[in-house]
Amino acid sequence: MTKKDDDTHFNMAPKRKADFHQPPNNLKFKVGQGGLSDDILDKAQALLENNTTDFRPLGEMYLDSMMRGINAVKSSPDSKTNDEAIIAAILFPAMQLKANGGMFHYNLVTSISDRLIQFLEVIDEVDQDALEIVMAFHTTIRAVLLGQIRGHGGQRGADLMQALIDACFRYFEKHPQKKTSK
Amino acid sequence: MSYKFDKIRILVVEDNNPMLEICKSLLLTFGVGEVLSAKNGEDGFNVFKKENPDIVVADWMMQPMDGISLTRRIRNDPASPNQYVPIILMTGFSEKKRVVQARDSGVTEFLVKPFTARDLYKRIAQIIERPRQFVRSEDFFGPDRRRKAAESFEGPFKRESDAKLMAAQKVRMKEASVHLDELRSKAGLSKGDKIDIIDVDFS
Repeated sequence: MTKKDDDTHFNMAPKRKADFHQPPNNLKFKVGQGGLSDDILDKAQALLENNTTDFRPLGEMYLDSMMRGINAVKSSPDSKTNDEAIIAAILFPAMQLKANGGMFHYNLVTSISDRLIQFLEVIDEVDQDALEIVMAFHTTIRAVLLGQIRGHGGQRGADLMQALIDACFRYFEKHPQKKTSK
Repeated sequence: MSYKFDKIRILVVEDNNPMLEICKSLLLTFGVGEVLSAKNGEDGFNVFKKENPDIVVADWMMQPMDGISLTRRIRNDPASPNQYVPIILMTGFSEKKRVVQARDSGVTEFLVKPFTARDLYKRIAQIIERPRQFVRSEDFFGPDRRRKAAESFEGPFKRESDAKLMAAQKVRMKEASVHLDELRSKAGLSKGDKIDIIDVDFS
């Protein structure tokens, strides 16, 4: 029996050496203590809420990028792929829409894109049915931008979201095997 | 007394111009002395090398070098002027596997977009008040990926949201106590008497 056998059980991960360092907290030394006042934080939040940047050109750019990803899937020979890169071509613009929509008052774009990301994260291949779902998301986001539906969109926004959620449910009812747990 | 941010410099690395401007404005409103900027990870690393800022705030998705690669470079490149610099990674991803991916690259804090001014401030305050120790192993160098245990922690409630759970539990305990009193009264028992459930008439 070797020393290693003595130390490690056969199914245990081998222990790795690690050194720990506590770097000096120069930041604390520079900024002192006490935090920031609510007044400053409210002022910063007001700045966010009152920013007048038009999100639509940026949103359209991400939608175009997503469409290129969709077309890449469509142009694949058997219209079916499990290529992570092609999923990413749709996923990454969706992530940008989710991230930036809400920062520029288009919270409904964030909610819809978030749902699309959840859908893309659990499927391991984009087949024709999945592509139709992605197209529905794409069309809905474009409609929100064209209609300049800011905020959560009230009842209209809730109805749009519910329709997309229902479409995802129908997909997984039809293809239960496609739902992977990542 | 409040934080004096005027002595610190923050580098924001973001390829989306409106978002970059928003971040800069927020940080300047917080009172940050100087906000440096770069359009992608590669430019970001060059600015970092030249200016050695106190904090780096980086977006995840950028071309040609993203925020994850920038983080790895800051932590491991011999040319890096401060391998310990706190890095806040901004992203739309919130799924666990993405958070783990970012954590494993060596980011200090994760900021999910869209965020509020207070969300950004909380990450900065966390870096200042609860700096993480650094770990160097065969394949990782970065902030300790485990959260530190609070010494004053005395129970299962750790997070702000847990206060709601605690309040709900108190209500349930109070209701249970009332039901127990009812059972006692129906059984003709007083406090301290042993109660046998099969003797109680629930009708």
